[in-house]
Amino acid sequence: MSADVFHHIAPFVGFTYPNETEVPWSELIVIYPYITGLVAGAFVVSSLHHVFGMERFAPISRFALLASLCFMFFAPTPLLFHLGQPTRALNAVITPHWTSAMAAFGYVAGFYVCLLLLEVWFSFRADIVAMSKSRTGIMQKVYKALTLGSDDVSKSALAVDHKIARRLAMIGIPGACGLHGYVGFLFGSLKTREWWSSDLMPIIFLLSAVGSGVGLLIVLYVVTSWWRKKPTDNGVMEGLLYVLWTGIVVVVVIEALEMVQMIYKAREGVEGVFELIAGPIHLGMIIQWGGSFLALAITSIMMLAGTRGRALVFWLFISGLLMMVGVLAMRWNVVIGGQELSKTMRGLLTYHPEVIGRESLMVVATLFTAPFVTLYLAQKLLPTVWEHDAKAHH
Amino acid sequence: MTTQDTKVEKEAAKLSRRDFLGLLGKGAACAGAVAGAGAALASAGGANKLGGVGPTYQQEDAQYAEARKNPPKIPNYNWTEHKWAFGVDTNRCIGCLRCVEACKMENSVQMDRNHTRTWVERYTYLEGSDHAHVDSIHDIKNVMPGSKETRFVFDNRYKDAKVTKSFFVPKLCNQCEKPSCVQVCPTGATYKTPDGPVLIDSKYCIGCQYCVQACPYGARSLNHERGTAEKCNWCYHRITKGLNPACVEVCPTGTRIFGDRTDPESPISQFIRNNRVNVLKPDMGNMPNVFYAGIDKEVL
Amino acid sequence: MHKHIVRLLTLIAVVAVVAFSARYLARQDTFYQYGHYRGASVAEIASKLPKHQGSATCQTCHKEIYAEWSSGIHQKATKNNAIQGVVIKSGPGCEVCHTPAGNHPSKEAMPLSVEDRVTTITYARKGLHPANVPDRSLMREPADMRILCTNCHEKIPGRPVRGAVAGTSVPVQAVTDVVGIHGVPQVVVEGHGGAELCTTCHNPHSPRINFASVPRSPVDPKTGKALPVSAEKPGDAAAGKTVAAMCAGCHGEAGVSVNPEWPNLAGQHTNYLSDSIKAFKTGARKNDMMGPMAAGLSDADMRNVAAYFAKANCSVPGGDKAKAELGKAKAAAAGCAACHSSGGLRGNGVSGVSGAQAWPNLAGQNAAYLTIALKAFQDGSRNHAVMTSVAKTLSASDIDNLAAYYASASCK
Repeated sequence: MSADVFHHIAPFVGFTYPNETEVPWSELIVIYPYITGLVAGAFVVSSLHHVFGMERFAPISRFALLASLCFMFFAPTPLLFHLGQPTRALNAVITPHWTSAMAAFGYVAGFYVCLLLLEVWFSFRADIVAMSKSRTGIMQKVYKALTLGSDDVSKSALAVDHKIARRLAMIGIPGACGLHGYVGFLFGSLKTREWWSSDLMPIIFLLSAVGSGVGLLIVLYVVTSWWRKKPTDNGVMEGLLYVLWTGIVVVVVIEALEMVQMIYKAREGVEGVFELIAGPIHLGMIIQWGGSFLALAITSIMMLAGTRGRALVFWLFISGLLMMVGVLAMRWNVVIGGQELSKTMRGLLTYHPEVIGRESLMVVATLFTAPFVTLYLAQKLLPTVWEHDAKAHH
Repeated sequence: MTTQDTKVEKEAAKLSRRDFLGLLGKGAACAGAVAGAGAALASAGGANKLGGVGPTYQQEDAQYAEARKNPPKIPNYNWTEHKWAFGVDTNRCIGCLRCVEACKMENSVQMDRNHTRTWVERYTYLEGSDHAHVDSIHDIKNVMPGSKETRFVFDNRYKDAKVTKSFFVPKLCNQCEKPSCVQVCPTGATYKTPDGPVLIDSKYCIGCQYCVQACPYGARSLNHERGTAEKCNWCYHRITKGLNPACVEVCPTGTRIFGDRTDPESPISQFIRNNRVNVLKPDMGNMPNVFYAGIDKEVL
Repeated sequence: MHKHIVRLLTLIAVVAVVAFSARYLARQDTFYQYGHYRGASVAEIASKLPKHQGSATCQTCHKEIYAEWSSGIHQKATKNNAIQGVVIKSGPGCEVCHTPAGNHPSKEAMPLSVEDRVTTITYARKGLHPANVPDRSLMREPADMRILCTNCHEKIPGRPVRGAVAGTSVPVQAVTDVVGIHGVPQVVVEGHGGAELCTTCHNPHSPRINFASVPRSPVDPKTGKALPVSAEKPGDAAAGKTVAAMCAGCHGEAGVSVNPEWPNLAGQHTNYLSDSIKAFKTGARKNDMMGPMAAGLSDADMRNVAAYFAKANCSVPGGDKAKAELGKAKAAAAGCAACHSSGGLRGNGVSGVSGAQAWPNLAGQNAAYLTIALKAFQDGSRNHAVMTSVAKTLSASDIDNLAAYYASASCK
């Protein structure tokens, strides 16, 4: 038996069970809730316009929707790469064992992909029909297929589309919350691990997801605007600032509450939790809390000072990036940290991710780059995503 | 408890189980969180509280009836006639680790110190300390040098230390009455049988390792060659042939005790009757079926 | 209703129907038969072939060894899993040391079980598990013999000590300093047998040293050849002669002592001699004369002088004949031959000539010296894990008799 079997072996101190020295869930499971979080966050922003009619978000609502879909396509891929038997992945869908939090994943994810596809289709249908007429060659065939053979863009048809899109978005909001709260439940429902076993886990996952999703949208919006040499919309930037600020405040408060509860209850093994924080995940904790507090400070100052214009764009971009990094660190601290604290509560493991291999940082980087590439291709396919540029708010 | 009480309790368990299964059926289309929450409740019913032969964890009455009527085709064996249990008399364990090596050979477990179906922990209190130092086979010092992690021996590291108390505790899968691993398996690749063991269908497992996370006892691991979960099943292929599990077979001191609880004269029935036995982490609510005599507060 | 909505609903319906029928068709036949799992998997798992076959199966071919084992303490502990008191007795069977039989003696690989046949695309390099290798050697490497024994018998904190459980009777065994509650003897390896393999004295199949066991000299279980005694770099006898000059005052020029209370050195084992001088130098053994003498010697000096005396011709001082007869019987009963006979406990060897270089020859030794030595072990002024416990079982007359016996035994 060759030595390269031992790719997840983590050095340990104290008392751990032998089987624990192989960390079961790797960095792929860190990136999975992160990506679904981005999906949920982006969808919520898009819904602010679609459902609640917040006009200031109009310029990016369709883009947010498209981003949400592109990220959702890749949400299950880290799981597939992580499975020991990826070819059997559908077993969980063929015979879902409903007492498992994981069994619903295929259905929830499938449902959500369908919902997003429909939402995108209804939002862009008129443009697709238009392009099926203006384009030539193979692309015309593609657009033709996408119209499902109907070029009905009458006023009544578009009104129906709009109505359906809004209702879908209304389903989508609890769907997004469910999708992500459910990922939190997947961790929080395990009684085995003190670091995970918290009733607040679904809420923490959900709120931080919204925070990171808004952060992603800010970053994408600023970068794409710069790329397209178009000014960013002030109304959008202000709106994103409000959403981001709210998100950060709630996330920080809830996460702090969870920590305080765990420490105050001081159940058996709480010393292990302290050691975990001071040991294997101390860097992650610094990034998570440092990023959150820094973003909180910057956005708060901008809220107080009423910053506008280029300063707002720059500092909001920084805050969005900090939030994304902070939430990524938080995912690491939860997923990897939870496994670094032994089930005995009396030992610690230190996980060292691989750089190259099936479960490695390289794969994570690839899987995280893929949605951006897909998004680039998607906006090539549906270039009308920026149509609101013309009527920029002032 | 009177017969009447038992009957009432059984009825209640049945009812609650059906209710929740119904709820789950409806909830299937809803968000996973709902299903999961219902699942946690559903798992409360269905467990065979008294430890006797009967419907097992998450087994419906109709399925148990099928299990009695058409049992799996295992020669000279009927799984509804047995209720296996395991005993560990830690007073007798000498930490020779023959059980660990025997298990790895019998079950083709990966030959390294990080994957094992059974292991032995050494607890050592040094003078002036209220906490035990614990080590086991995953400590490289307990791997026989030059054996490429195929053979294990406890090193004599406390030879010159002032030891106030020291003992060995063998560990293995507890084959719980309410197994967390079965609860979280998304596919149904692991399940509780009516005769006790929790088995893994390695032709159906997808290798998600949720069960590895959920086991409070660290009994599960991933077999990389198979890409599936792995754990002790009390050598189901042996006990169904009338043999002892391999670790019991090789234990030179009689630390490991195995038998059928439906037979009052079996070694395990006598062991449980004649000793004050305990289970590991009873607060987890898993109701383990491995019974320990002589364990200490430090044993987790 | 608008055309595109109708088309869309149709598409959704088609996808849903395909998905649900695929889900239904893909489901295994026996799923849900007994519960939420594949019912057929139970019999599949149970169909795996056992690899541990039990000691009884070994008997068919290995009759003699099985007889040794079944008459010895390693089997006696088993007693067919009989329940004694609050605990169940068991003992090491063949496969505890020899690894599982599998399909031995077949030259084919062990048939792969259902789980063994499972492969995955995430792990391409599937090797044959060591347990399934064809024609797998069922015996450990002979060099492992000591580790095999110490796996159970080395004294380690944590192993149960005598008297830990009330109501169990523990046989006291002369050769060990600590006895486990269930008769698992624990040995402090240093000082028990030195660098010798356990099998030099103990028959692994029936390890207790008593005369009821089947005679069998220690051999390499794989090759059948005699096990090697430890090989230390030999000393130079010629060089040792100059060193020996300082010993001659007491031990005689040719190694025959001038005083019967001092030991004869002629013909003694080299390793024993050099080990003894070393012990005097380090203070592990104390003697007013020898301590200062040894202090000035280098390791090479010790080996050389040892080699010189080892080559010298031994002589037999002789002893009281009546006592010697009694001593012969006592030597048999006390198990002296286990170490102090060239054949070991079970072989036919020269009595009083030790089987291993590390232990002294007794034949031709002065009776007075032997008496002093045994008494020193008895009162603790000289220490050796084995000798201390053996000496404590001897009476004063036993010591006299044994000394007379070995003093008159032939040293050739």
